[in-house]
Amino acid sequence: VLTGGAFGGNRGVRPVPPEKGVFPLDHLHECDLEKKDYLACLKSTGAQSEKCRMFSKKYLECRMGRNLMAKQDMSELGFSDADVVVTPSEEKHKLQSPASDSKERK
Amino acid sequence: MLMLLMECHGSLFLRRERVKVKPGESALAFYTAENRSSAPITGVSTYNVAPMKAAIYFNKIQCFCFEEQTLLPGEQIDMPVFFYIDPEFETDPKMDGVNNIVLSYTFFKVKE
Repeated sequence: VLTGGAFGGNRGVRPVPPEKGVFPLDHLHECDLEKKDYLACLKSTGAQSEKCRMFSKKYLECRMGRNLMAKQDMSELGFSDADVVVTPSEEKHKLQSPASDSKERK
Repeated sequence: MLMLLMECHGSLFLRRERVKVKPGESALAFYTAENRSSAPITGVSTYNVAPMKAAIYFNKIQCFCFEEQTLLPGEQIDMPVFFYIDPEFETDPKMDGVNNIVLSYTFFKVKE
């Protein structure tokens, strides 16, 4: 049965909760750096999400590391090992991959 | 590719962003909200997808919505949405000509 949402909106389409739950808000701005890197990437690529996957992956990993997101395998979220970024500031977290850009599938 | 435009209404300020996504690929998008009042604001967000016929293909993996959130006076907060467009979007003839999907959130105060 399709009904309106809790506030009577979305006539005919029922709001659906997120598949993997809710993010708590990052009140302490612990993942601001990762967020800014991702948004900067979007800006430089004309907002193309597929070119910035490595940054969105890092942002989600940051959340997981700070209890702002349930820990789960990144492959379950649609990421592959090719979604990696290596920058000078990340030397201590360097992942073992020579790729600095993800190889996108067509 | 689709373009996803976003808006955020209510007692928090409006910010519009645009993200180009491919059906089937998970993508991250950010809203930003700021409490410009002098009192905490507690509320819950509900969303809307336009055009409505595309809503069945919009899948949220994780988001800030569906639960009460509180913003302190002056607080600025990021509100991320992690989502994907169902790949079947591409083969549905009813979706021909749908190149833009607008995801908007409305934040409803639940207490003063």
